[in-house]
Amino acid sequence: MNYRTITSERLGETIYEYEHETGLKVLYVKKPDYYKKTAMFGTSYGSMDNVFKVPGREGEIEVPDGIAHFLEHKLFEQEDGNMLDKFSRLGASPNAFTSFNQTVYYFSCTDLFEENFRMLLDYVQKPFLTDESVEKEKGIIGQEIMMYRDNADWRVFFNLLDCLYVKHPVKLEIAGSVESIAKITRELLYDCYNTFYSPSNMVVTAVADLDPEAVFSIANDMIKFKDRGKVEKKYPDEPERLNREYAEQKLAVSMPLFNMGIKDNVRAEGYELLKRRAALSILLYSIMGRSSELYDRLYSERLINDSFRCEVSLTTSYGYMVWGGQSPNPEKAAAIIADALKEAASKGIRDDDFNRVRKSQEGLFIRSLNSVEYIAREMLDSYFNGTGLFDEIRAYEEMDAGYINKVAGEVLSNPAALSVINPL
Amino acid sequence: MGSNAGKTTAEKLTEKNGITFYRIRSDKFKTARADLFFVDDLTRERASANALIPMIIKRGCSKYPSVRDFESKLEELYGADIDGSVIKKGELQFIGFHMSHVSDRYLNGERLFDQCCDLLMCMLENPMTEDGGFCKTVFAQERDNLVDYIRSRVNDKMRYSLLRCIEEMCEGEPYAIPDEGTEEDVLLLTPRSAMDIYGQMVSTYPAYAYISGEVDDKSVQRFIDGFAQWDRGNVKKVSVAWESKDVTQVKKIHENMDVSQGKLCLGFRTHVDPGSEDYYPLVVYNGILGGDAHSKLFRNVREQASLAYYAQSVLEKYKGLMIILSGIDAGNRERAEDIILEQVEAMKKGNFSKEDLEATLKSLETGMKSMQDSQRGIVDFFLSQHLIESGEDFDSMTEKLKRVTMDDVVRVAQKVQLDTIYFLKPDGRRQEESV
Repeated sequence: MNYRTITSERLGETIYEYEHETGLKVLYVKKPDYYKKTAMFGTSYGSMDNVFKVPGREGEIEVPDGIAHFLEHKLFEQEDGNMLDKFSRLGASPNAFTSFNQTVYYFSCTDLFEENFRMLLDYVQKPFLTDESVEKEKGIIGQEIMMYRDNADWRVFFNLLDCLYVKHPVKLEIAGSVESIAKITRELLYDCYNTFYSPSNMVVTAVADLDPEAVFSIANDMIKFKDRGKVEKKYPDEPERLNREYAEQKLAVSMPLFNMGIKDNVRAEGYELLKRRAALSILLYSIMGRSSELYDRLYSERLINDSFRCEVSLTTSYGYMVWGGQSPNPEKAAAIIADALKEAASKGIRDDDFNRVRKSQEGLFIRSLNSVEYIAREMLDSYFNGTGLFDEIRAYEEMDAGYINKVAGEVLSNPAALSVINPL
Repeated sequence: MGSNAGKTTAEKLTEKNGITFYRIRSDKFKTARADLFFVDDLTRERASANALIPMIIKRGCSKYPSVRDFESKLEELYGADIDGSVIKKGELQFIGFHMSHVSDRYLNGERLFDQCCDLLMCMLENPMTEDGGFCKTVFAQERDNLVDYIRSRVNDKMRYSLLRCIEEMCEGEPYAIPDEGTEEDVLLLTPRSAMDIYGQMVSTYPAYAYISGEVDDKSVQRFIDGFAQWDRGNVKKVSVAWESKDVTQVKKIHENMDVSQGKLCLGFRTHVDPGSEDYYPLVVYNGILGGDAHSKLFRNVREQASLAYYAQSVLEKYKGLMIILSGIDAGNRERAEDIILEQVEAMKKGNFSKEDLEATLKSLETGMKSMQDSQRGIVDFFLSQHLIESGEDFDSMTEKLKRVTMDDVVRVAQKVQLDTIYFLKPDGRRQEESV
């Protein structure tokens, strides 16, 4: 079998890359002495892909919010029973998730990898949808939506996205609403499936203590679907301005909860995207990480507590930085943070902060390679972004303060939005 | 297909000064760690202080007096992590101090284990003090932080309903005390009283230490020697023993809240001692009833009736409890309860298949093996064994589980007794938005 290997001497890991004749790539990492084995089958299709062209048909269609997630649920149902049940009968834990831009099906197991891997590759290629089962699923997903509706962390984040984005569908709820899923039909689900579940829009990743050829030959045997040509995705042009500056909601929480964020309006791809994300992470942690002056001040003045977190999210079609947690006074915390961002925009990053935070981010990445799930997920993510797993550490190694300051100039002066959940 | 890793063991190195040191050997991980646990009986007098102490300790030490100094140092050490934790297992409380760092072989010639252990020891031996107590500002900040945390339990409705169910069910028993104690008790603490309890912790609580990952023998010995000077002449005994409480009447609790989804929790007494042979059938019983996607609860409550997104059962090994949790529409409460109780009844009648048993055994085996792919998982497993002085390891425990028969499961099913039904009920204010 023909496959390519990419090795990182520093990390002591090798990626094996196989390309199936349909164009589908299979990425594999061998983890010696690990019991756990995992495989993921993902499509570059998520909650934000709600306007698209169906192959072989004229014009674009607009589908109900939450349909990618709905389809994820329904793929588990096959003609001869529920896949969740079948995997678990082999001792595997199956699952799937839908994010803004991906739908990923996976399992982890310790034994019977081959049987499980065959099942995964098989069912994702074989949707079996009936009107009856589509209707039945509305009850289960309805409860999932209700569960998120009561989840303050989730609410505060989506309310922030709604402040940040005027048009971009990243702001849509992943599971949709009870009203939107009511409009989902078997036909619409097939339209989505036929558009996005195609070899060139998908990838398979696996991590196990197995011979790479064994993994690839299973894939070779099981991949049967045909490519339907390049997927044409379209996202609206997102204005640089905010949709609104502030959102507030009341829920049964113990004290106010806030999320604050800014958009990154510069789009990047491939390694440039990764480098930009690494730069923004170093920047954000140096401004408000636990070792920062700002964190210390907010914490001492009791404007934040241990729940405070910050995060960078950057993809080819959108990018933002978000931070927040519990606070007795979100407005005051937000004002102090806004000033600190302004100062950081003009002063740039300090050399000692840069060196220290970079080392710590490198360490975090190396550490996460302990997890087979993380490796499989990260390979999938980086593939869809046009990079590889090891490029992330390279981005940190090759980083310089000058680049960070350039990015800081482009991002930190953007207007910030604030989302607050207040107690009832 | 494929090879298998060698046996995962916790080798007892030494018992010195009332601290037992274990070494977990494995080169497959990219990190090295040291975990130190102190164990105390779960009591209202000390639970809150025990929970507060790790939070104060990680705020700095004589060498790195501020959070900024301390956190900067950790970043400098390639994002090393030093953290505290508190958790109850049965009616015991575990106060954990954890250190982990990237293994030296992935760094450019740096050696981190000794440096990180020094930092951990500095925190434990020289916390920031003032007037015979913890530093007042740090104490006040962390006390507030802990109170925030305790209050915020309500934010996660699934976890909140579970905690409330246990609290109601075990009213009057030590197990009703939450892992982090109560707000009321936290507010009674002072910098001095917390310091006193810290003094008791380091000198009298039994302790276990685990070293994992690629660490050379010299560094291991250096870590052990670091505790030689600790004054621990009077280590107390703690006990995992528990009384099985017979239920005379099922307790029913309704709590109203402004939420969209109701949370139904059913609390059961298992009457199974964690050290007894019945423990293994109980684990299998729980798996068949509500452990996985093949379980009775998942299939009947979610897949058949479409009533819930989740329906599962969990065991509390050391207190002999089983809790069934589900998130449902308020209007379906009775129906969901009926279906859940029907499944419990079916288990008693032996109404499950050989396939159900086999699927559960496979999934438990997967769980036992998977745990060995996480350093923290390995430590937790052995700590649980050492607690009940059990010599089981992953393989022997897996073997015991695999020997469980359908008759064994039916036998323990008879013991399981419903104690409390807790329902977090939407108060109707969000009705207009509901399904």
